[in-house]
Amino acid sequence: MAQDIYYEDINVGDAMPEMVKGPILKLQHVMYAGASGDFNPLHTDDDFAKAVGLDGVICHGMLIMGFVGQAITAWIPKKCLKKFGVRFAGMTKPGNTVTVTGKVTDKRVDAGENIISCEVVAQDENRDVKITGNFEAALPSKG
Amino acid sequence: MADKSKEGKEYPPIVWEVERGKIRELAKAIGDPNPIYLDREAAVKEGYKDCPASSTFFTVPMMWCSSMPGVINDLKINFAMVLHGEEEYEYYQQVYPGDVITGKPKIAHIEEKTSKSGKKMDMVTVEIIYTNQKGEKVSKARSLLVERK
Repeated sequence: MAQDIYYEDINVGDAMPEMVKGPILKLQHVMYAGASGDFNPLHTDDDFAKAVGLDGVICHGMLIMGFVGQAITAWIPKKCLKKFGVRFAGMTKPGNTVTVTGKVTDKRVDAGENIISCEVVAQDENRDVKITGNFEAALPSKG
Repeated sequence: MADKSKEGKEYPPIVWEVERGKIRELAKAIGDPNPIYLDREAAVKEGYKDCPASSTFFTVPMMWCSSMPGVINDLKINFAMVLHGEEEYEYYQQVYPGDVITGKPKIAHIEEKTSKSGKKMDMVTVEIIYTNQKGEKVSKARSLLVERK
């Protein structure tokens, strides 16, 4: 799905194609709980979430990281990804629509590999930040 | 406070056989339509041996083997007060259906911090190094857990 992409084609400051996910359904929390094995009831049981002081269930942070991973590997082939890290900055709730954006912050040849570094951010429809992160990928060269 | 003397402690390994269905299930739960996770032929066409595990797949063995809850209990952290602060992966090679991966969890770091509002928090970094059935390193996962007080 990710198109062939070469080191020479990428410049510092380039934007990663934006990806929009959602609105998120509670059903997706149930699917993600089963797939990931994270059965913390905070994500699937409104009564439990209310008992600990929230309005209702919140999304698995790893689901939102999964959205960011989807956005990255729709652009850069999965096999080129070397490193991917995020900081969870805020809670995401059902009904939120999450937009993932990113940009290239550095490119360099390191130990014979053509490395690009990018920063990524996931925000909801009010531009509240849910995730900030970065990734590194080793891209093929045209040469 | 999480028990600082546990820094460096290693936990029993997680052993996990990677199934094709689980790779697909995780992609579907995320809503990722990338055919490399769903269709072996599409993956081969893009240069993979088979459907690769996606970029956040390592959460699956970690959660299904209950390794993180085990670490949290051992550190006597209040489960209800734990936030997942950060998650990071380094990828050394692809993981495919049929691979048997072994993860070795370790407490990399424990630190007490004070937030701007003056609240104390324990920051616990857990590292898991994954190897495959050939003993080759496939990935390193780093999770930062934050215990609010």
